[in-house]
Amino acid sequence: LNCSAFDSFRFMIKGGLAGAAVYVAYDQGLLGSGTEGAEALKKAQETLPPAIQEWTNYLGWEIPTPPKIDFSISNYWNKGVHKVMSALSVAPTRACEYTVEGWKYVKDLVK
Amino acid sequence: MASEGDLGRKWDRCLADSAVKLGAGFGLGIVFSVIFFKRRTWPIAFGSGMGLGMAYSNCQHDFQSPYLLHGKFVKVS
Repeated sequence: LNCSAFDSFRFMIKGGLAGAAVYVAYDQGLLGSGTEGAEALKKAQETLPPAIQEWTNYLGWEIPTPPKIDFSISNYWNKGVHKVMSALSVAPTRACEYTVEGWKYVKDLVK
Repeated sequence: MASEGDLGRKWDRCLADSAVKLGAGFGLGIVFSVIFFKRRTWPIAFGSGMGLGMAYSNCQHDFQSPYLLHGKFVKVS
């Protein structure tokens, strides 16, 4: 009798913890639409580094500052697309020119 | 009035949302795994998968509805 009461009490504690975790996730907008998720990420990006800084100051640890990565994926992607498309657009003309030159070279060799 | 800018913003929103949902699913999977499932791995995979699925669904909805504007409600007191 005592065991079953303790077990049910333990189960209720566990259920409460799990439910609280789900509720916190829902309340922060992590389980909502696309805009809410993006806003939550922006909020986290703003609040996380000062919080980490405060904690490390409190605990007395020294973390080295992460290096600044100046890599813009969208920039590189756009440049790559431009290059590929312009190469494709001049490809037939260039192929013609190279064929003509190659043919002339071969003719000169044969002469 | 750049529609390609709008598309870029949609992609940004989609990627940010995917990261958030994956993290939330992963975290909730860890919580459930520790609390209910004796620290097995499958709840974590299940949670991450659910998060990715929700993100995919949101992105699909965002890309397929070109006329919905994203705004905020401002309460006028």
